[in-house]
Amino acid sequence: MQLKMFVLSGAAVALWLVPLTALDKRIGWHKSMQGLSLCAAIACAVTAGNIARTQAEQNEIEEIKTRAITADVVDEIATSAYISQQQRQQEAELILASPGDDVEATREALEAIYSQSLQDSPSTSEHPDYPIYLEICKSREAGKSTTWIVENILKMGGRKFSDGKVKLQTLLNQFEEQGK
Amino acid sequence: MRAMYLANYFVAGCIASSFLGWVASLHPTSFRAIAFLAAGVFVIWGLCWLLDYSVSSLLKISVSSLQAFLLAGLAAIAIGAGVFLCS
Repeated sequence: MQLKMFVLSGAAVALWLVPLTALDKRIGWHKSMQGLSLCAAIACAVTAGNIARTQAEQNEIEEIKTRAITADVVDEIATSAYISQQQRQQEAELILASPGDDVEATREALEAIYSQSLQDSPSTSEHPDYPIYLEICKSREAGKSTTWIVENILKMGGRKFSDGKVKLQTLLNQFEEQGK
Repeated sequence: MRAMYLANYFVAGCIASSFLGWVASLHPTSFRAIAFLAAGVFVIWGLCWLLDYSVSSLLKISVSSLQAFLLAGLAAIAIGAGVFLCS
């Protein structure tokens, strides 16, 4: 198609210039020859122009197609990058959220271990604090106050009184729960 | 390719101008007719050049495109007529 266009363009220029310059004016039919060649030159030039315009439009369409494909590819890459980023973000959120689950699982595991150790532990009467607990019980039955028990049985008076109170409560809770 | 199509139409304009010159050389009456035609074309050309903004909005093209078209047309007429007169 391009070859045809170039040939027509060259023919148009040749048909335009050659009869006007090279044709001998003494020949009788030179005027009609000039007219014919000029008409043919116009036809050739217009045809070549139409072909070139068609080609230019096709090239433009191809460029638009190429740009659309490029934009599509860029969009696809951007989409995949976005999806990848979202996946990584979700993974990161899962990783950040997982320590809570681990703590819960660890707590459950520790509870299981603790209850098992309680079962495996020696009987209440063999516990080293059990005699103290018995003394505390006797004192409470005798109507002794908590302060007296802490100071005289647990020997935690003065500055250690608050710790002694906590220890008393712990002992009571521990042996009363086991007694149940 | 766009340049080729513009060049081909420009050459077509040049050849058409030479053809009009050839028609004008055939007979005094045709010469007069072509002279009137050329005068009319130049008047229209001048009006288009002066009223470029109005004409460009009427033809829905840019002013620069209209001016380029007018100058290319003038050049094509000048070249075609010059080639015919010099031959």
